[in-house]
Amino acid sequence: MPGSRYYDLRHVTGQVTHIDIDNGVVESAGTSFFSKAVIRVLGPRGWGILQIDNYIPLPGKFAELLESAGRLAQVTEEPVSLADVSRAVIPVPAVQEDCRDVSIEEKSMLLAEIERAAIHPRVVSRRAGYLERIENVRFSDSSGDEYAYGICRSGFSVMAVASHNGDIQMGYEREHSIHGFNLRHRQETGKKAADIAVALLDAGAVKGGKMRAVLDPELAGVFAHEAVGHASEGDLIHEGNSVLRDMIGKTIGSAHLTIVDDPAIPEFGFEPVDAEGVAVGRTEIIKNGMVNAFLHDRETLAAVGNGIAGHARAMPGEPPLVRMSNTFIESGDATTDEVFAECKNGIFLVGSRGGQVDPGRGIFQFNAEYGYLIERGERTRMVRDVSLSGEILSTLHGIVLCGNERVMHPGYCGKGGQSVPVSDGAPHVLLSEAVVGGSGMD
Amino acid sequence: MFSFPKRWWAAVEWIEALVREGAKRVEEIEVYYAAGTSVSADLKQRRVSLCTSSRDCGLCIRTVDKGRIGSSSTNDPDQWRACLDAAIASGSLATPQAWEGLPDPAQIPDADLSFDPSLPVEPDHTRDLLSSLLEGAAKYPDATITSGSAGLATGKVILANSRGIRYSSRQTGISVSLEAISGQSTGYEFDHASFREQVDPRSVGERAAFFASRSAGGEDIVTGGYDIILSPIAYADLLSNVFVPALSGRNVHQGRSRLEGKIGESVTAPGISMFDDPHISRANGSTWWDAEGTPTKRVDFVRDGVLEQFAYDLKTAYRFGKTTTGSAVRGGFTGIPSIGHHNFIVDGKREDITGERAVYVHSVVGAHTANPMSGDFSVEIGNPFWMEAGEFATPIRSAMLAGNVFDLHREIAGLGRGSRAIGSYILPSIRINKQHIIGK
Repeated sequence: MPGSRYYDLRHVTGQVTHIDIDNGVVESAGTSFFSKAVIRVLGPRGWGILQIDNYIPLPGKFAELLESAGRLAQVTEEPVSLADVSRAVIPVPAVQEDCRDVSIEEKSMLLAEIERAAIHPRVVSRRAGYLERIENVRFSDSSGDEYAYGICRSGFSVMAVASHNGDIQMGYEREHSIHGFNLRHRQETGKKAADIAVALLDAGAVKGGKMRAVLDPELAGVFAHEAVGHASEGDLIHEGNSVLRDMIGKTIGSAHLTIVDDPAIPEFGFEPVDAEGVAVGRTEIIKNGMVNAFLHDRETLAAVGNGIAGHARAMPGEPPLVRMSNTFIESGDATTDEVFAECKNGIFLVGSRGGQVDPGRGIFQFNAEYGYLIERGERTRMVRDVSLSGEILSTLHGIVLCGNERVMHPGYCGKGGQSVPVSDGAPHVLLSEAVVGGSGMD
Repeated sequence: MFSFPKRWWAAVEWIEALVREGAKRVEEIEVYYAAGTSVSADLKQRRVSLCTSSRDCGLCIRTVDKGRIGSSSTNDPDQWRACLDAAIASGSLATPQAWEGLPDPAQIPDADLSFDPSLPVEPDHTRDLLSSLLEGAAKYPDATITSGSAGLATGKVILANSRGIRYSSRQTGISVSLEAISGQSTGYEFDHASFREQVDPRSVGERAAFFASRSAGGEDIVTGGYDIILSPIAYADLLSNVFVPALSGRNVHQGRSRLEGKIGESVTAPGISMFDDPHISRANGSTWWDAEGTPTKRVDFVRDGVLEQFAYDLKTAYRFGKTTTGSAVRGGFTGIPSIGHHNFIVDGKREDITGERAVYVHSVVGAHTANPMSGDFSVEIGNPFWMEAGEFATPIRSAMLAGNVFDLHREIAGLGRGSRAIGSYILPSIRINKQHIIGK
C-alpha cells in the first residue's frame, strides 16, 4: 500500500465457559468460542483499522486486507507518529491448577456449594456465577516482530439478597485470578456475601458531607484507579481532556503518596506484552506526591512524552487503547491500627460498587459496599450506601496516612466500549476532608 | 404462512442443515445468526486520527431437551457442528425446568422498522458527519474539542427454529458524539438513530460546546433540599440501573426486585405511564419479534402510576406459570436471550417544567454504583445548572445528588415537553421537587 508506514495484526482465538446458578438452579452452563482479529495500518497521516470476526489467516488474503485498511487510513488527517520502543515478552505465570483439567460438572458442583453457603433465614435470593476465559493471542507487525501466548483468567462471584420488613439489601463477593482454578474450598465467600446482606438490613444511612475517612485496600485501590489512573492515560492527555495535562513535576499530593501502574506484576491485570507488541513495565504516575509520568501507547508517547509505552490493551478484535492494568497506592509505614487511631472520628469505607471519573473536569465518584462510623479511633455502627466524590487535584493532598499492608483486588474496567481485566490495590489510607455522599438527613 | 424475504434465505442453507441436524438430536433447536458491517471515524481534537471498519458475525444455538436448555455461540458459522455439540453438552448440565415449547411461526409484517436503505455505510460519510459536529461546536469558540466520533452500521439478523420459524430483519444505525472542554469545564453530547435524517450532528456539536463553555465559572451550592430537573440522559442512567431491572420477571420471582408483590399498587406519581412499545416506526429498538421469535406487542408496566405488569421471556414465563410478554433480547451477536425491552417509554401529561427555579441535572457520574436492590444512590452531577424561567442561568461548580430511585418516582412533579431517545429508552425531562443535594 503506497504511503503505508506500519501495520500490525492481533488475532485472538479462545473460548469462554460460564456457569450461572440462581437459587439452586443451574440456569445455564457451557462453552462458547470466538475468533477475532484487528488489523491496523498507519497511512501517511493516521490509522486505518479493520476489525474482523471469524478471522482466518490466509497468506494471499492478508495483502487484500492491508489494502482495505490502507484505504480507510486515507480518510484521516491527524499526523500520527509512533515512538521507538523496547520489545520483550515475559512468561505468563504458571497456574496452580489448570481450569482445563477440571470437568464442567465438577466446576458446577463446586460453585453450587459456594452458592448454598449463602443460605440464611433472611436471605431471599442467591446467585453464583463462574466465568473462565481462555485467550490465545498472536501478534505480528511490519517490523518483523511476532509473539504468541495463551492466558486463562477464571473466577466466580456470589450474590446474596436479604430482606426484612420491606427493606432489601445485597452482599456481593467476587474472586478472579490468573493463577488457575479457584473454586475449591471457597464456601466462606458465599457465607460472607450472606452475612453482609443480612447485616446491611440493620445498617443506618450516613449523612453526607465533609469528613475524615479511612478507605480499605479495595476501595483505596478504586480511588487510585478512578481519581488518578484514568486522568494519566496518554490519549486523554493528548486530547487535552485531563486535569493532569501540563502537570508533570507539579506536586498534587502529600510526600508519602506514590501511585503506580504495572502490567508486569502477576495480578489480574497482568499482560506478558502489550497489545502493540511493546515490553510492559512499571510506571510511577505519582511519585512522592508529584506527577511523574503518564501511561502510554506508541502513539501517545510520541505525541506527549513523559512515561513509557507498553500500556496498550485491547479486547479480542478491538483496537488497542491506553489502559491501566494493575494500579495501586504504594504502602506507607503506618500500621492499620495507627491509621484508625489517627482518624479519630470519621467513617470507614469498605469494598467497592464501582466508580466513574470525568478526567477533564477532574471529578470522580465511587461507591463503597458498606461502611462503619469511626468514633475515637474505633469502628462502631455499620452504615450503607456511602459514596465518595471529589476533585482529583485537591483530594490527593488529603491522603495524610498510608498503611503498610497493600492488598490487590481483581475487577474489570470499561473504556471506549471495551472492558478489560484489571486489579486495583492499596493499603488502608486515611483521607482528610473526604466528600462523602449519603441519603441520611438531619 | 410466515413471510421471509427469499433474497436472504438463499444464502443461509447451512442454517437449514443445522436445524435439521439439531432436530434429530434434541426436542427443539433455535438458531440465531447476525452479521453486519460498520464504519466509524474518530476525531483527536479537530482532526480525524483513525478510521475503522468492522465485519461482525455471530451464531448462537439454543437447544431444549426434556426441559434442559443448552446454548453455545461462535463467530465462525463454518463451525456450526462443534457449536451444536457444545450447546447440547451445555444442556446436559442445566437443571430441567417446565418447558412448553419454542414459538410457532406467526404472521409477521414484512417491513423492517428500523432500517434505512439509503444510509451510506461509507468512510467518507463519517467524515462529513464529523465536519458537521465541528461546525455546530464553532458557536462556542472558547470550547476546545478533545474528541469525537461518528459511526454508521448495517446488519441483518436471522432467527430459525425447529417449529418452522424463519424470520429475518435488517437494521441500520448512525451515531455521533463530541466531547469539548473549556478550562476545567467539560461538555459531552451524542445522538444515535436508525435513519440518517433523525440525527442532527450540528446540534450535537453545538450542545457539547455549549455545556463546556457555559459550565465554566460555576458557583458553589449549599447542602440541602432543592427542586431538580433530570435531563433524559440523567434520567435514563438512573432508570436503567435500578428501576428497569426491578421490572424483570426473573428478578421479581427470584427475590431480587423491590417491586415484587406490588402489582396493582401505586409505584410512581399519578399520571405517569411506563411501557415498552416495540412497533414505533424508526425507533432504535423496534422489532416485530423478540429474540426468541415471540411476536412483540406493547407491554404496559405502569399505567397512571399503578404497577400492572412485569416483563417475561419464555424460560421465566414457563418456570413461574406466566405468559411471555415478548421481552426477550440478546446482548450482542452471540448472546443468549434474556429479559429486556425494545423501546422503553415514560409518558404522561406534558407541561413546561422549567418555570420555577430548579437545579438542572444534565448527566450523572456513577449511576452504576447505585444500590440495585434498595434503589439508594449518591452520584456526582455532570454540568449542574441553575435553571430559571426555562433558561440555563448560572452554572453550579460541583454537587452530589443523593436519594432513592424508587422514592424519586413517587415524587415526580412533572414531565417536560418533548422526548429524547437514549439507547433503547425514549424519555422526557422530569421535574422532582425537594431532592437532597450535597454541596462542596
